[in-house]
Amino acid sequence: MTALAVEASGGSRIFKSWEPTKIWEGARALTGDKGDHLSLKMKALILVGGFGTRLRPLTLSVPKPLVEFANKPMILHQIEALKAIGVTEVVLAINYQPEVMLNFLKEFETKLGIKITCSQETEPLGTAGPLALARDNLVDDSGEPFFVLNSDVISEYPLQEMIDFHKSHGGEASILVTKVDEPSKYGVVVMEESTGQVERFVEKPKVFVGNKINAGIYLLNPSVLDRIELRPTSIEKEVFPNIAAEKKLYAMVLPGFWMDIGQPRDYITGLRLYLDSLKKKSSPKLAFGPHIIGNVLVDESAKIGEGCLIGPDVAIGSGCIVESGVRLSRCTIMRGVRVKKHACISSSIIGWHSTVGQWARVENMTILGEDVHVCDEIYSNGGVVLPHKEIKSSILNPEIVM
Amino acid sequence: MGSTEERVVAVIMVGGPTKGTRFRPLSLNIPKPLFPLAGQAMVHHPISACKKIPNLAQIYLVGFYEEREFALFVSSVSNELRVPVRYLREDKPHGSAGGLYNFRDLIMEDNPSHIVLLNCDVCCSFPLPEMLEAHRRYGGMGTILVIKVSPESAYQFGELVADPDTNELLHYTEKPETFVSDRINCGVYIFTPDIFTAIQGVSTQRKDRATLRRVSSFEALQPANRSLPTDYVRLDQDILSPLAGKKHLYVYETKDFWEQIKSPGMSLRSSGLYLAQFRFTSPHLLASGDGTKNATISGDVYIHPSAKVHPTAKIGPNVSISANARIGAGVRLVSCIILDDVEIKENAVVIHAIVGWKSSMGRWSRVQASGDYNAKLGVTILGESVIVEDEVVVINSIVLPNKTLNVSVQEEIIL
Repeated sequence: MTALAVEASGGSRIFKSWEPTKIWEGARALTGDKGDHLSLKMKALILVGGFGTRLRPLTLSVPKPLVEFANKPMILHQIEALKAIGVTEVVLAINYQPEVMLNFLKEFETKLGIKITCSQETEPLGTAGPLALARDNLVDDSGEPFFVLNSDVISEYPLQEMIDFHKSHGGEASILVTKVDEPSKYGVVVMEESTGQVERFVEKPKVFVGNKINAGIYLLNPSVLDRIELRPTSIEKEVFPNIAAEKKLYAMVLPGFWMDIGQPRDYITGLRLYLDSLKKKSSPKLAFGPHIIGNVLVDESAKIGEGCLIGPDVAIGSGCIVESGVRLSRCTIMRGVRVKKHACISSSIIGWHSTVGQWARVENMTILGEDVHVCDEIYSNGGVVLPHKEIKSSILNPEIVM
Repeated sequence: MGSTEERVVAVIMVGGPTKGTRFRPLSLNIPKPLFPLAGQAMVHHPISACKKIPNLAQIYLVGFYEEREFALFVSSVSNELRVPVRYLREDKPHGSAGGLYNFRDLIMEDNPSHIVLLNCDVCCSFPLPEMLEAHRRYGGMGTILVIKVSPESAYQFGELVADPDTNELLHYTEKPETFVSDRINCGVYIFTPDIFTAIQGVSTQRKDRATLRRVSSFEALQPANRSLPTDYVRLDQDILSPLAGKKHLYVYETKDFWEQIKSPGMSLRSSGLYLAQFRFTSPHLLASGDGTKNATISGDVYIHPSAKVHPTAKIGPNVSISANARIGAGVRLVSCIILDDVEIKENAVVIHAIVGWKSSMGRWSRVQASGDYNAKLGVTILGESVIVEDEVVVINSIVLPNKTLNVSVQEEIIL
């Protein structure tokens, strides 16, 4: 433990020259742990927030963090990544439907062996306020930094590398940034390339100031909480700029993919990136066979008929029945869906327990909510259908069906 | 004929949550029967009308909603109107007549001589005492309330043909493709207990047919034969149509207003009709004011006692303001329903809209629509907790709950 303390208290360090593995081996020797760092008892906060209106109609049935992505609830991707690097307690900052979330938590607390608690905002507290609200859960005597994740973000979660980076620069806060093609759509983080020290944030810049944006994954020292009042506060607009001004904020470039899957178009792109990363790791989860093209995920309880062509970039959830002669590409089929014979689905999301009729064609960002039934031979071009509907006539142009 | 103690039981069909999505987005937050029209829940209006029936023993609300959704309303309306009201939940769909049959034991407990059956989602003057008198004169098994509509719109309803002298129902057909009659079924009925025998007859007949008759493979494909369980009995197709012309059923015509409340737009129209009716039946419920101590009121307006309206606002015609709403200075409200806890800031304008619970409208904001009650976007609807920021304009649009509008929109559905 002493070795760590020395490293952490050092001044700014040149990231490239520091070798993380040596430090951690030292730590393991001191604590007697092998591999995981449970003795460090790290905590994390996931900003779940509100109503997930951008993912409607799916979020009309299920709170956003429980909407499945690649056959697993969105928030589970993050909780598992946190568990893997030794986080022992995760706090979910929510302001909507706590009852549903709490039931989910009980199931996964036991399954995963990690403590999950909810911190409920009674009034919206912005992106920083929830941290102050959850203060007692996040800090203890150990003085360890804690993670903050945005629930909409899907990525490779290089959390261990982030811990190493944080210890090496010795600053107060670390954020992950990701490179994008069109930075003016987002908040750009302007940083010193070699050290990662953040100079400033520029919201939707009109001229090019950099191409790295805030990826929504932070590692913060407990002292950051002293900067946040319990009121609606923005972490990007108020807290981080203050820390950056004191030269204590550092940014690490995210290796691998990153996507904010909070809206349907990005959800579909995100699935492609995620499945691609599974492929790169030669994951056994990907399906294979003569009827599979590209990267495809099929739950083991799903049934696929004869003569189908599935893929690329498809996820089929549990209990789904895909009848014969079906073509699926770039789509997500949620739990319990039946796709009838000869149907064709592309670039769409089919909600839980829906059915797609024989010879139906569903494409171009069609989003079906829970329990939606598309009749035989119907065509949907970008229909967005609320739950519990029957589609008896074709939707020729993108339209919302209430 | 009958004893002076002829008791009457009323049954109001209230429907259920996943059936009928036409009332969205309002139905995302409240069961349709509880949506307020002219300051009272939709189902409150037929309940008050039933109270005028002499010897009314009991009112049953029958539907698919969870009991807890109606618990508060039922106890409060029972107390307020001093009439026993009870909610009965159907465990599975039985059809409009099957639902009545399903609860026949409870209904017959009071030994009623007559049963009044109403659909909750009709906006009507419910002339029940007069209709009951007519029913007694006719001496049949049932009397159906009918109204004359324009021939072009009749196809949407059940069309009836009646004998002009005896008022006997001669012919009934549901949503016909060609014109049959401009008299349509209002969804209000009075039956004698024989109706249960008739419904049972349909069930038995269907059961027998299923077991005895060997159906050809083509017939088996017909949806009518395939999908109906034996205890699923529809009032229109299975009872009214077959019994027409057999001297069992009669009609009673109303010349008052009548509308079917299927969409949020129609609820705004119905609210206006009930407000107009209040002017005759309960004028004390309507607001008044001339801009001195209270806001200027034009036409029929309902304002809940707990709502606060600035004296410089101008309200009406056809406006209903619910509990704890706050209407700021210089606000203009025309043809709208303002639901509970809404805040409307200074100088805002609302025309042909429904503003959802806890929503807020900024200063100089404007929410309006064409006012075409039948058009999909003819009445602007703001769902629960929608925030319209200062100076933003929302026209002919529907906004789902929990959205914030900081730019103006037109002709849009915002999820």
